[in-house]
Amino acid sequence: MFSQTLAVTMINLRSIPQRWALSLATVFSIALVVAVLLGFLAMANGFRATLSSTGSDDVAIMLRGGSQAELNSGLSLDQQRLIEEAPGIARDAEGEAIVSGELYVIVDGIKRSSQTEANLPLRGVGAAAPSLRDNFSIVEGRMFEVGSNELLVGQSVQREFEGFDLGQSIRLGTNEWVVVGTFSTGGSVFESEIWADLGTIQNLYQRGTSIQSIRAQLSSPEAIEELRTYAENEPRLNLDINNEVEYFAEQAGGTSDLIMFLGWPLAIAMAVGALAGAWNTMYSSVDTRMKEIATLRAIGFSGSSAAIGTMVESLLLAALGGLVGALAVYLVFDGISASTLGSGFTQVVFSFAVTSDAVFGGIILALIVGFLGGFVPALRAARVPLLAVHRSS
Amino acid sequence: MNDLTLIRKNLFRKKLRAILLTFSIMIAFLIFGALGAFYNVWTAGVDLAAANRLITVNRINFTQDMPIAYYSRVQSVQGVENVSHANWFGGYYQDPRNFVQTFAVEPETWLSVYPEMVMPDDQRAAFITDRTCLLVGADLAAQFEWSLGDRIPLNSNIWQQNDGSSDWDFNICAIFDGAEETAPSNYAVFHYEYYNESLAFNRDRIGWMVVTTTGSDINDAVIREVDALFANSSAETETTTEAAFNKAFLEQVGNIAMILLSVIGAAFATILMIVGTTMIMAINERTKEIAVMKTLGFPSPRIFRMVLAESVLLSFVGGLVGLGLATLIVNGAAGALAGFLPGLSMPMDVVGIALGLMLALGLITGVGPALAAQRLSIIDAFNKH
Amino acid sequence: MTALYTLTDLSKRYTRGKESITIFEQLDMTIDQGDFISIMGPSGSGKTTLLNLLGGIDRPSSGAVDCEGTRVDKLSEGKLAKWRSQHVGFIFQFYNLMPTLSAAQNVELPLLLTNLSGKERKRRVETALDIVGILDRKGHRPAQLSGGQQQRVGIARAIVADPKVLLCDEPTGDLDRNTADEVLETLQLLNRELNKTIVMVTHDPAAAGYASRQLNLDKGRFVETGAA
Repeated sequence: MFSQTLAVTMINLRSIPQRWALSLATVFSIALVVAVLLGFLAMANGFRATLSSTGSDDVAIMLRGGSQAELNSGLSLDQQRLIEEAPGIARDAEGEAIVSGELYVIVDGIKRSSQTEANLPLRGVGAAAPSLRDNFSIVEGRMFEVGSNELLVGQSVQREFEGFDLGQSIRLGTNEWVVVGTFSTGGSVFESEIWADLGTIQNLYQRGTSIQSIRAQLSSPEAIEELRTYAENEPRLNLDINNEVEYFAEQAGGTSDLIMFLGWPLAIAMAVGALAGAWNTMYSSVDTRMKEIATLRAIGFSGSSAAIGTMVESLLLAALGGLVGALAVYLVFDGISASTLGSGFTQVVFSFAVTSDAVFGGIILALIVGFLGGFVPALRAARVPLLAVHRSS
Repeated sequence: MNDLTLIRKNLFRKKLRAILLTFSIMIAFLIFGALGAFYNVWTAGVDLAAANRLITVNRINFTQDMPIAYYSRVQSVQGVENVSHANWFGGYYQDPRNFVQTFAVEPETWLSVYPEMVMPDDQRAAFITDRTCLLVGADLAAQFEWSLGDRIPLNSNIWQQNDGSSDWDFNICAIFDGAEETAPSNYAVFHYEYYNESLAFNRDRIGWMVVTTTGSDINDAVIREVDALFANSSAETETTTEAAFNKAFLEQVGNIAMILLSVIGAAFATILMIVGTTMIMAINERTKEIAVMKTLGFPSPRIFRMVLAESVLLSFVGGLVGLGLATLIVNGAAGALAGFLPGLSMPMDVVGIALGLMLALGLITGVGPALAAQRLSIIDAFNKH
Repeated sequence: MTALYTLTDLSKRYTRGKESITIFEQLDMTIDQGDFISIMGPSGSGKTTLLNLLGGIDRPSSGAVDCEGTRVDKLSEGKLAKWRSQHVGFIFQFYNLMPTLSAAQNVELPLLLTNLSGKERKRRVETALDIVGILDRKGHRPAQLSGGQQQRVGIARAIVADPKVLLCDEPTGDLDRNTADEVLETLQLLNRELNKTIVMVTHDPAAAGYASRQLNLDKGRFVETGAA
């Protein structure tokens, strides 16, 4: 039985060149389906990866109650002082609470890819800010000086936007700034930001001593509950307190889900279209070999070996298409840098990420197309009447 | 019987094959129609922008505000017809997830710079006189099931009142609709005075100004003059046409056009290959029949036209079904997406392009086989068998 | 007797690769109005080529094919197609019917090249089918007909536009003896009653016996073998 099937399968595969154009069209149409799917998934995964690598569960982020986003929030220096005294907050070697009050304004940058203006966050931070970001390092240059008009620029900003090279001076709105350094946070969303001294920002944008958010190092992830209880019992504090992981996960959700919800239906619709192509190809594969299959049947081969031979041909073409599509997307898209408007109303720079899970999903989709496309023609191959031996053509 | 009978019979000679091809063409046009309709709504802001409407924002970024004094200074610029101003309110209804797009505006001038907001005269008058009136778009009203005369609270996730509360009471005294179907009506506006007087902080600031000029030919002059007014101040301005402003905003999200084009391109490349190769095969199978037709005296150009008509017919059958389905889907989704993508419908220019694509697909997939059929030598065709 | 076809100094050569193959050379022949000619001869003797030249689907290497004053060999492709539709009916060994069309539609096919009204076309189709004795099968598709019936449909298609000459290439080559005789009798009838000129290529001496003039083509030369 096995050797029979193998023999029929080999005959099938050797006959592919007779239908090369149709077989090639099937391979490429399935490749395109997989490519579209993986393109969308790479976008969604890349965006999600950037935001989910951001934040740690022992950093608390505090905003004014009900404000939902840093941009909407407003807090005072007094409130920051109260947090510095709060329980559950970690302290450095000098016994200072590791707390950073921050304020960001949105400025215009020029996107390299489209040469259009796009929103960039210009974040005013204090000395504690770097220690509150995992994997923070200065890649090039140095930290800005307190009270200066110096900028420390995230790597992603430098990559996607014009004018942020080291040593360059740049005009943002009415003010002149000098780029003195570039920082990395290991691919997280902070790399899409420009940092400057908090006092300078408050001064230039007439914000007095107000801030938008307070980040604090927790003594342990669980300590956030102590902090919450403290804030609830303090009438001068009306805060929403989250750990950073939750905060960014919430922000990632919408956009990457949207991409997924767009990508899958499109890919499935295209897969159905390609299915028609695969079916057609396998149908003509059986059609042109009617006499050959009948001859094999006449000399004793079983119907099921003819069916399996057809099915294997279909699955093979589909798998080949899937691999071609996945490889093309990997070569063209993996690691490509792009940016979009994040929920903070500023640009989030991310890299397309072709993950093994997505590739696996793509190949499975291709095989489903191959299986469904080969199914009916395979049944037909199994039922070729023996009398077809005598057909003239 | 006529040529069309022959074309039809040839096309549907192998029923399953014809159905499968029709199906894959249908899918491609379904994708094209749906994405085309989506893209049309997505860029509606650019298309609907009035040619003589300008937007003035803070030069740092459009999220930065500017003093209210700017408003009256712009009014006096030559060539300016009307000016209005607005602030982003960041409103939500009952729950922060129920986002309501709300602006605090100068009511009377707002209606004159946006003449596409239409409503009955008595409601228009009520909106202008009633300080706590919320003028609600029809789509927005439908979404929250609000009706005329309702009193509702809106919360702001940005602004607080003097008393520390963030909920503002409104009286829905007017409901507007878009003059055109694609004009958005998924937002609400209310009196700047009501907003400004009760603010706890940031009083007397405006978010942006909307300027209409007396004619689009003087846009550039007005833009220069307005921005010159505030040069070297603490809040310099940047004025652009409404279309440019909307386009720049869409660009921030990403190159949506390119993503959609790639998907549509992939879908069409798929059917081009599938239909193209199948047509070649189908004509090959009929070599002898075509030779017989020629022997009977059918002229070669007529054979060429018949084969070409066959692929064009196939393309139109599949394409029209796909476009029809896309229209059904788009109309079905229009209600559900009214808040997010107002005015979703199948636009005529997408239909036009689709018809063009159907013709092109039919011609491209048919021209090779048709040429082969036209050039077919009777003797060679008979000798093959 | 008036001459329908006059073939003068006719030569036909093929080049296959570098080799040049001569089918026949300097052939002269006259076919009279009302002739029923059979042509026999070994494979490769040029029987079918001659038929193709008469029918205007092939051109001679040199020489003239004259049909009632028309130089068939000199007509352009387009004119030739029109000439064929008006003057010649073809009958093939394997019938060559359109598998997707009914018997009546197959017969109607040549009439699509005329300006006749639908009603007139229908009348002519039914007459043609009636003459070959297969009117009762007009709605059947070729696959539903026997070989002999299919050939009758083929003959009806050949005569429906009322051409002067019928060119038959092995019309009974795929049929059994009895059916073949019936088909040949039909051809004879068309020759005698409707005065159709018939040129028939065949391998079968019995079939050739139905013709009024029997020719043998060998090494590019005609040998008259008999007349009825």
